[in-house]
Parts: sequence; structure tokens; C-alpha cells
Amino acid sequence: MSTASPSFDEAPAGTGGPRRGAVAWAHLRSVPVGVLLSSVVLLLFLVAALVPSLLETHDPFATDLAASLQSPSGSHLFGTDQSGRDVFSRVVHGTGQSLLIGLGSTGVALVIGLVLGIAAGLGGRWTDAGVSRFIDVLFAFPTLFLALLLVAIFGPGITTTIVAVGVGTSPGYARMVRGQFLAVRDAGYVEAARAVGHPPSRIVRQHIFPNAIRPLVAIFTLGVGQSIAFASGLAYLGLGVAPPAPEWGALLDAGRQYVTEAWWLELMPGAAIVLFALAVTVVGRHVQERLEGNVKVRIP
Amino acid sequence: MSTTVDTFTVAETAAPRGRRRLAGRVGRRLVGAIGVLFAAATVTFFLQALMPGDRARLIINQSNGSLTNPTEAERAAVAERYHLDDSLLSQYAHYIGGLVRGDLGVSYFQHEKVTSIIGAQIGSTIVLTLVALVLAWIIALTVTVLAAGRDNVWSKLASGFQIVSASIPQYWVGTIFLVVFSIQLGIFPVESGSGIDGLILPAITLALPVAGFLGQVSQDEFSRLLHQPFVTSSRTRGSSDLSVRVRHVLRHAALPGVTLSGWALGFLFSGAVIVETVFARPGIGSVLVTAATARDIPLVTGVVIVSAAVYVVANLLVDLAYTVIDPRLKDQ
Amino acid sequence: MLNLLLTRLRSSRPDHRQRWDGVGEVPDGSQAHRRRWLPRRLALAALPLLAAAAVAGCGSSADGGGVETTASKPSRGGTIQYGHLQEPPCLINTWVQTGYLSRQFLDGLVSVDGKGKFYPWLATSWKVSKDGKTYTFELKPNVKFTDGTPFDAKAVKANFDAWLDAKRWTYNMYVGYHVANVLDEVKVTGPLEVEIKLKEPHDLLSVLSQYAFGIISPKTLAGSQANGCEKPVGTGGFIVEKWNRGKDVVLKRNPDYNSAPGNAKHQGPAYVDGVVWKFLKDDTLRYGSLRTGESDVIYEVPGASWADAKKRYAILQHVTGGVPVRLALETQNGPFKDVRVRKAFGYASDRRKAVETVFRGAAPYNGNGALSAGSPEHVEALEHAYDHDPAKAAELLDEAGWTQKNQDGIRVKDGKPLTIRIVYSPGNNVTNDDVQVLQIIQDQAKQVGFDVQLKPVTQAGLWAGEHHGPGEWDAEPWYWVARTAEILHVIWAPASEFGGTPNGNNPGGYEDPKTWALIEEADRTVDVKKRTALYQQAQRRIVETDALVLGLRPLTVNLAVGPKLRDVWLSPAIGEPVFTDAYFAK
Repeated sequence: MSTASPSFDEAPAGTGGPRRGAVAWAHLRSVPVGVLLSSVVLLLFLVAALVPSLLETHDPFATDLAASLQSPSGSHLFGTDQSGRDVFSRVVHGTGQSLLIGLGSTGVALVIGLVLGIAAGLGGRWTDAGVSRFIDVLFAFPTLFLALLLVAIFGPGITTTIVAVGVGTSPGYARMVRGQFLAVRDAGYVEAARAVGHPPSRIVRQHIFPNAIRPLVAIFTLGVGQSIAFASGLAYLGLGVAPPAPEWGALLDAGRQYVTEAWWLELMPGAAIVLFALAVTVVGRHVQERLEGNVKVRIP
Repeated sequence: MSTTVDTFTVAETAAPRGRRRLAGRVGRRLVGAIGVLFAAATVTFFLQALMPGDRARLIINQSNGSLTNPTEAERAAVAERYHLDDSLLSQYAHYIGGLVRGDLGVSYFQHEKVTSIIGAQIGSTIVLTLVALVLAWIIALTVTVLAAGRDNVWSKLASGFQIVSASIPQYWVGTIFLVVFSIQLGIFPVESGSGIDGLILPAITLALPVAGFLGQVSQDEFSRLLHQPFVTSSRTRGSSDLSVRVRHVLRHAALPGVTLSGWALGFLFSGAVIVETVFARPGIGSVLVTAATARDIPLVTGVVIVSAAVYVVANLLVDLAYTVIDPRLKDQ
Repeated sequence: MLNLLLTRLRSSRPDHRQRWDGVGEVPDGSQAHRRRWLPRRLALAALPLLAAAAVAGCGSSADGGGVETTASKPSRGGTIQYGHLQEPPCLINTWVQTGYLSRQFLDGLVSVDGKGKFYPWLATSWKVSKDGKTYTFELKPNVKFTDGTPFDAKAVKANFDAWLDAKRWTYNMYVGYHVANVLDEVKVTGPLEVEIKLKEPHDLLSVLSQYAFGIISPKTLAGSQANGCEKPVGTGGFIVEKWNRGKDVVLKRNPDYNSAPGNAKHQGPAYVDGVVWKFLKDDTLRYGSLRTGESDVIYEVPGASWADAKKRYAILQHVTGGVPVRLALETQNGPFKDVRVRKAFGYASDRRKAVETVFRGAAPYNGNGALSAGSPEHVEALEHAYDHDPAKAAELLDEAGWTQKNQDGIRVKDGKPLTIRIVYSPGNNVTNDDVQVLQIIQDQAKQVGFDVQLKPVTQAGLWAGEHHGPGEWDAEPWYWVARTAEILHVIWAPASEFGGTPNGNNPGGYEDPKTWALIEEADRTVDVKKRTALYQQAQRRIVETDALVLGLRPLTVNLAVGPKLRDVWLSPAIGEPVFTDAYFAK
């Protein structure tokens, strides 16, 4: 926000400062409480992902056999696991990897989806037909199965999980992108631009692309939560990242048999996944609302 | 198959004129479907071929249940039996030829025809999936009808519920259900079995994420439709809010959701893999996990083809159902 | 203990000709005998009551006997719902998990108790030649396979031929490893007499008591693999009715069963109508099904529920002999080429405490990596061979030249870090609890300067040799179920025994000629004391001198039995559950 460009609530030029602050405050106050809370939550998760040592209370890998399976207490916020490791620190430390998987795989899915969707949406009839068939073939594979297959070929690991979940969820994005591009291509303002004589590349860049992509923001945010859930599914089947990495899915897999004896092992990582997905979706939908004026959430 | 997931479906699919157009449409879909299946089989085959490691050795070790160094003679005997040393193309031709005849091959480790293995297990999964789909619809629509378009605490909660359920890891919630309702409270049996009461918990677990998605789509559509003129006119005629919602809006709001049901089936099949393991239900989901980790190629490709076929057929039916539900498409 | 009581009671009865000195005779299953048996049954049924008091103080008794609290008359009827874990790919193969199942429908030639005493089973008596090379077995008359084929010497020979023929689907690698090199010929010397000739003396009886030597119907052997895997036929107490893949195997009672082993609790058909052998792969679900009563007895109580299970149910536990779950160290490539580094790794972590903490009693620690405490030749002192001693580990590493450390605290030599890759397959050769132990080892070894990396592979990956090429791994967990130290030759035989192909059972690749000489000689020794001493020397070389393996825990068979079921017991051979004596209390 530079002082040079005029803001719409016209203050006489040269009187920035408190007026701008008041504007910012007014904006902030108009944001629903839920979204604010979610933003704070997201910020915490981000800190946990980038600088986990700020939030960790113990070394997430340090075993302490004397403190095995302790319930949540003052010294161990989320209790300890079988080897005496602090669960809270492990959940915090696992944020980075889990987020990487979630964002990474959704990113991969989006890239594939964009490539396929644009080709189908903007290309000619034949390209559309061909690419649509290819998308249909991708759809015919249940997501988890395709992910399973790829993991079985290349072995478990973080890269494989990202690529596998990404490819598995991509056809949905492809369809959506295609639909968006098809719709925008025939929209009024595009026709107008064409009538005026703008070159196609400029039309695509200035009009089609931004308008088609904008609604996808909320999809992306929803997709991140779903990707993390998929990745943890793979970990449950024993095909996740190698221990002792405290990735959330791996933690859930390890804690399963202790559900009745040590419920905190299973509840905490699961709660983290759900909380993150919730926060990211709330914020995403709000952002989309502001960008678009109304929210149309579509499914990956 | 050109069903799409967003509201542009209506604008984008061509509206046929009369029955002949419908027949032609179905015919084209059918051909497309077969093409999709063929492509899926090919993709699967070549993906599996990429797997590292010596397959003959794997088969021998699997049969013995231990890691050994088979002699060359032993290895050759197995390789011959399963055509493992043939060229890739000849293996592929062999495979496609079998597919056309309806022969999906023989499992490496179960020594039975793949078709019979799948046939024995698929019924259970289909039942589970259909029940889950129905449950998902019931949950989604109930929440939608009651909460959409309103701006109270309940609708916020409903939205929250839908978002949460869409991203909940299924085995996590499944385990919690299992422990709480089956083991601790004893309401449902721990082992799924074949009865109805053994079906409920797995079906709910499987249905939750789909309910979340369907709910969100329907809810958005519902809210949008509540402002349409035909709704206002209904209200002015004196219909109650609930009856307006149920009798007039629901049918239109359900449209995008119906399209989604095709996709939902694929998602449910995927989720069945996990739910069947959590609740120890036999089905092709668990067959698939074992087969994939054991690299039982004939069985894996067989399951893929069959599930792709189920998906394709389901989408075909959804397409036809769509024309029935949306009067704008049926007669123009 | 129970058997001793049985022995005394039985020998006091005049109408049975029985001498339980290893060359015994069992009453045949004729009708006349059965009628005479009936009143005895009541007396026998009272035995558990007598035995209970005696057994109670012994904890888990050596012969794996059940824990009995109240005696009840064995009642007929009911179907046992049994929750097992692993599902085999075929109902006949060499996997020990299959062995537990096949024990229900196959009988062996001889049975054994926890003290190493052999009992008649399908073989009623045997004679061993003076040079220990020829065994002559008298077989039990009037026994039929459940498909009608008579059991006789020809059937036994057919089995051996089928097991050792690499071209047939019946090829049994377990049998091959144990006897192929030592077997000379199997001869039919009479309708019910078989002669097994060996090239050298060998502990054949012990080998024959193990699960892979169950006698299969010749019709099944001659038939197709598909049929043999789905519905194999034996002489056992139960018959395979149906295998519902992914779900269970339905076994029904063999009403004509007359070939129970000599150390069974009763002779004659099972009391129950059948057993449903379910595959409940999920730990929570399996234990949960016992809690709700949907299962009458389950296998492999998860460590998390061990304390709860001990409070509520009768626990049967058998510590299986043979090779325990232990880390085999790669000696041909990588840091473990140096024996000092191998020893240092042993001292670097407190494996005892790790196992005890994670397993919480479900499995004990077995520090002797060469042999499980369940085998009679086990050397107790080796349990402490590498007790946790970080100072000693550091000293050894310094000696071996790993004196420098990088900024992560990992030791470095010639620019290369001290990286140890442990390759394992969760759910296959290790359980989830084992994986926890590996993580503890990883953390503790880091304090001394090892960079331990854990590399999980899928089951298929493991058996296709993933991550197992030269230079790709440094340690891997493995186990091999057997009864005695006779297993040592299976593990440590050098490549020369296999025509130059390296022994796949010794992945670490170290061949110590002195150790092999000890093992070979022990195998040939007939005198038990001398043989044991030789095996013990071999163990010491493997563990102390060469530091080739680091022990973790033995394979244990844990069964939790619900309140309604009685007289389930675990066979002392390798812990197979036996249900032919089980019955439901009223």
C-alpha cells in the first residue's frame, strides 16, 4: 500500500498516518472472529513448520524410557509415547513435514490440473476431447489406489507420498480448471476484448487467466487438508515416511493400538490435522469471498 | 464422459433432441467408456512393469514365507510359469488378449483366477459403498435443508461440520468409533460380519468425508437458489419455509451433487481400502492392499480394471439420471 | 509337569501297555478301546484340577500348558472363534504362521514336550541304529486321511518325495534347509514301517517334531496347487471346510480322529464342533473382539493391552526357540566390516531396557542373538554379552579409528560419517513394537556417535531384495523359528555347502570356519550333553568373538483365552495352538 496511489476513502493528499491506520482497523474489525482466530492458528502452525524449536518443549527425538506412556501433564502437554518422547514436541516438529506433504501434493495436483485443464479449456475441440479422455482415465483410478501403486513402485518416502497424492487428486482439479476456462472463455468481457482487437495472448494473460484462477483459491485450501488426510492414510497402511520422523500420519499409525490405554497418542495428532484443515479452509473461504464477492466451493 | 463437477455442466453439455439423440449419446458414452477402460489397463500394466526387484525371487520367497537365495533352476522354473522373462510387449499382448476374453489371469500368490477372487470379494465392498453413499446423501441433505441460507449459529456449525468431516482421516475417526461404540459401549459388533449392524459403523466412517463435500456443494447451490424468483413466488403463495426448501429448492440444489455422485463413488472405493482394514471387513479394498504390497500383478491390475469398470458404469448411470432430474435437458 | 502326572496315572492302570521312556506305545483307536476309555475320561478330566495347584506356582510352564483355575467336565459342542493375525498365502507352506494353522489339520510323526522328551504321534515307536544314521519308524495303524486315503509308510515316503522335489509346488524349503544335505534315503520297509537313512548322524527326531513336517494326504500332494492351497487334507483333529480369503478359515471337527500326539490331554476326536480361525489384522480390533466375546481366544495380544489382558484372561505364552528376532550385521561392506565397530554398536544402546519398556511383558529380552532362550542349548551368560555401556562403545570406536566428530555429533573417518542403515519390513519381519525398539536404539546410539537410519520396506520389497544390495544396508532384523540349536547349521552354513551360492539365511555374509566346524560336529554328535556343549561354544563364537548378531527378543506365541474356553494349550515344539483338547465350560 503506497502513499502514491489514492485510496478510495478519500483523504486529502498528504494526510496519511492515522487515517490509514483507522482504515486498516476498520478492515480488521469487519473480519469475522472465526477468521481471525483461524489466522492466528495458521500463524502458529507456520511457526511450528518453519522454526519448530520456538514452540517445542522437549527434543522430539529424545527417548526417555523411564517416562514411557505418561498422560498429559504440566511437564508433558500432550503426554509421552512408548519411548518416553514428548508428544507435543513431536506434533510440533511434525508440522513441517506434514505441511510440506499437504502443500506439496496439493501443489503438484494443481500444476497437473492446470496443465491439463488449460489445454482442454483453451485448446481446440480435439485437444479438449483428447485431454478430457485422459482426465477420465485418471479419474477411473481410486485416488488411494493410484497413490498405493506409485508408492509400491518407488518405495515409501516423502517425495513419493507427495507425488502419489498429488497425481491421485489431480483429475478433480483438472476438471475444475477446464470448466472455469471454458466458462470464462465465452464470458462477456472476453468477447469485448476480442472485439476491441486485443491479441489472444494478451486476452489470456489479462482476462481469462486471472478470472479463471481466482475461484480456485478456496479449492486449494480445502485440498491441503484433504491431502494431509490422504497422506496419513498411506502412513496407516505402512507406506508413509520412515521413522523416527514425527509426521502426523505416522504418529497416528503408531498410536492406533494404544487408543484405549494411551488415548493421547491417537487424539493429539488427529486433532492437529483437523484443526489445521479447519483453519486453512475458513481463511481460504474468507479470502475467496473478498476476492469474488461470493463463495462457490467446488470439490477437488 | 463429459460430466463436469461445477455448475457450468448445464451450459456445456449439449442438450439432445428426443430419444434418438439420447440413444446416440448413450452409444458414444459406451464407446468412450470402453476406451477409458482400455487406457486404464494399459497404464496400470506399464506402471507395474516399472517395479524394481526380481519378481521370480519375490514369488519364491512369498511362497516360502522367508528371504532366501533361490538357485538358478528354481528361479527359471518360476519365471517360465509366469512368463516373467518374456519381452514386455509380449507380456502386454498376452495380458490384453486375456482381458478381451474376460480372463484377468491367475494370481501369483493365491493360485486362483483373479476373476473368482474379485467376484468373491467385490459384493461386500459394493454393498458398503452404496450404503455409505446413501448415508452421505442423507446427512448432507438434512444438514443443507435445515441450515442453508440462514445466518445463525446452527448454520455456522453445519458449515464447520462439513469442512471438518471433509478432512478427517477416516481410519482415525473409524478407530475412535470402533473403540467407543463397539468395544466400550458394545452397541455394534466389533467384527463387521455380514449383518446390518456390522455395516453401520464402517458405512458412517466411509460416508463422512463425502457427506462433507456433498453438503458444501449442495449448501452453496441451495443458498444461491433461495434467492431465485420461483422461490419468492412460492413463499408469497403462502408455503412454509420448510416446505419451500424441501419441495422446490431441493431438487435443483441436488443437481451438482448428483453429478458429484459419480466422483463420490470413486472416492468411496478409495476410502473402502482403509475402512475395510480398520473394521476387518473383507472386500476388494483389503485384497488390493495385500496385492499391491506383494506386487501380485495379475490381481492388482484385475482390481483396477474392475473398479474402473464400476466407476464408468456408475457415471453412465449418473449421466442418464441427470437427464431425468433436470427437465431442461430432457426435452428441448 | 502335567505330563508327569498323566504318566504316573496311566502307568498304574493294568490294561494299557505303556512305557513312556521314549519308546512307547499308544492305545490304538479301535472301538473296544474307546469304550474302555470312556470311564477313564472322567478320571482324566479331574487331572486339570490336580495339576492346577502344581502348575499355578510355575507361571508359564515349560511345556506351554494352559492355566487352569476351575476344573470342569469336558463338554461336547460349541465352535471356537479364534482371532489370529497373519493370513498365509496358501494353507500349506513353510511360513511359521501357516504352521500354526496347518497344525490343526495335519499330524506329525513325533511330538515333543518342553523338556525335550519325544512322544509318539503318527509314529508309534522308533529305533535308532548305533551309528545314529538309520531311523526306523513304526507307524500307527488304522489311521486314515480325511479324504479316505489310508495312512501308511507309502504316504510318508510320498510326503518326503514331495517336499524335496524342487520342480513340484509341494517343494518345502524349510524341510530342505534342515535335512536335504543330510538325508540319504527314505525307504518303505513294511506297510507301516519307514526307514530314514542319513548320511551323518543328526537330531532327526527334533527336526521331525517341527511344524513343516506335518503329513499331508498323498491325494493332495498329487493334485493341483490351487486345490492343495485351498483345501489340503491331513489326518488331524480338524478338517479344512472353507477358506474365506481375507476373513477366516472354517475348520470342522474330524469325528474319526484317532491320532493325537502322546502328550495330548486326551486321545480321540476334539470336544468342540469346529474352529473358526479368523484373520483380524488390526491390533485394536483383535483385542476388542476378545473383550466383547466375539472371539473366544486370540493370538498376539498387543503390547499396549498386555497388562489389561493379564488381569482379565488366562494367558498362554510360549517362548519359541531357534533364532530370536535379532539384528544381523552386514560384515562385507560398510562400517561393520570392522568387528570393533560391531561390538561398539552392541554396547551403544540399552536394548534390554528398550524391549522391556516397549513390550511391557508381552515378549522378554533376548540378548543372546545366536539362539533364543526357548531352546535348550541357550547360553544364559550371552544375555549380558553387550549390556549397555556407552563408555566401552566409545573406546572401541576410538580404537577403530572413528575418532573425529562432525557438528551433529556423528563420528567421522576419512571424511565418511558413521552411518548405520537398518532395513526392515514392518508387519512382516518386525512388529510395530519392534519398530519402537529400533527407534530407541537409534536415539541411544546417537549419543555414542552412530548415525542410525531406519529404512522400512514393504513386504514385497523385502523379498524382492530392495535396499538389500551390497553396500545398501548395515543391519537387518530377522528370526527363524525352530526348536533347538539344530537351526544353527541352517543359518551359518557356508556357501560351499550350497555349491557356491551364498547362504541367504546368513545375510551378513561372515563365514567363520571354526564356528562352522563346531556346528557340523555338534550336528553329528549323538550324545546330548556333548552336543549341547558344542552348540554352546558355537554360540559364544558367533556372539562374543565375531559379534555377528545383536539380540532383541524371541518370537513369542501369546494367546489370551476367554473365560468360557478350557484346555487350550501350546505345543512345545514351536508354540502352535492346539484345540483338540479344548472345550467350553458350562
